Amino acid sequence: MDMTGEFRISAPRDVVWQALNSPDALRACIPGCEALEKTSDNGFSATVMQKIGPVKARFNGEVQLENINAPESYTIRGEGKGGVAGFAKGGADVRLAEDGGDTVLTYTVNAQIGGKLAALGSRLIESTSKKLAAKFFENFQTYITEGGAGRMS
Amino acid sequence: MYQTKYHKAASFDDAVAALGAAEDGKYLAGGQTLLATMKQRLAAPTDLVDLRGIDGMVGISVDGDSVTIGAATTHAEVASNAALRAVIPVLCDLAVLIGDPAVRHMGTIGGSLANNDPAADYPAAVLGLNGTVITNQREIPADEYFEGLFTTALDEGEIIKAVRFPKPRRAAYQKFPNPASRFALVGVLVADTGDGPRVAVTGAGSDGVFRAEALEEALAGGFSAASLEGASVDSDGLMGDIHATPEYRAHLIGVLARRGVAAAG
Repeated sequence: MDMTGEFRISAPRDVVWQALNSPDALRACIPGCEALEKTSDNGFSATVMQKIGPVKARFNGEVQLENINAPESYTIRGEGKGGVAGFAKGGADVRLAEDGGDTVLTYTVNAQIGGKLAALGSRLIESTSKKLAAKFFENFQTYITEGGAGRMS
Repeated sequence: MYQTKYHKAASFDDAVAALGAAEDGKYLAGGQTLLATMKQRLAAPTDLVDLRGIDGMVGISVDGDSVTIGAATTHAEVASNAALRAVIPVLCDLAVLIGDPAVRHMGTIGGSLANNDPAADYPAAVLGLNGTVITNQREIPADEYFEGLFTTALDEGEIIKAVRFPKPRRAAYQKFPNPASRFALVGVLVADTGDGPRVAVTGAGSDGVFRAEALEEALAGGFSAASLEGASVDSDGLMGDIHATPEYRAHLIGVLARRGVAAAG
């Protein structure tokens, strides 16, 4: 699956960059995130519960940040396993551009999804991914606006 | 087989209590999505609360120009009910196109609407005919019921009792099914109602069923296929997958809407 998107965040680029590298911010903003820990300078491990219609699956994943060019861009590379549901692996190039006091974030995702989820839910993967991305950035904007407190939905 | 507790609820209170007491419970209304998902181990509820035995959940009643269908009424019953066909035939025509005979004899209208699969047929019927979803707590108009992919206005534990449809002046449903799954690649319900034309589209929106406003505006000038000449649907926000691109779906919506208007007569 290939997916691209763009979101405008009302905050300076430095603030956005810091939040994107903060385990607290990511844990609060990733939809369904149950746990997220820093495992090395540029590595995270996470547990995420996803509910899509009748399907409920818990994914355990490892993520590495590469090609770090602060505060402009990085590449996220990782793999998540959801037991019998399947797996997802791939990467995303993330780029931050300044636009007045705002930051425009663009991303390009290339991911492979396998297992039963892919076989049975292929018609839903792209729209579900877009919906989750939109939810993440909505949470992210709220998180930054409210000064980084609390757990988003 | 892993363990799941099965409860057959005798009343709404009974069902709500059983779900509330369950660690991870699900209502069961026909199981044509849920049981298939459980067999694939993609869902493992600890408890299933069967709603089909609750009094008044099954059946179709016609009251003048409105029809009320109990939530646990199967697609097969809707497809073959003569009293319904005499008032709102488009509902029979739509129900007979759902899935296969096994699905139609087990699956229910309430189950389909609570699940709100973005390619299911009934959401197009409820939105296109301006139906009302009646629950154990309240009545929800169609325009407020559908909230996106697999998401509805139903609260946790809320149960659909029935769906009420007003009789349209004329209406038709046109479906381009995926030949393997029989889900709608695109399905369009067009209706000439007392409050103007409505066009509901399923299978195509990346956020589930929606009203094609551009087509409704075109039809406001006259409910005929000719009014739709030149009107088109934007492919922005439409679903793209291995079966069809957003542009292909946008084109199909126009084609099916014209056919629907012609078929509605």
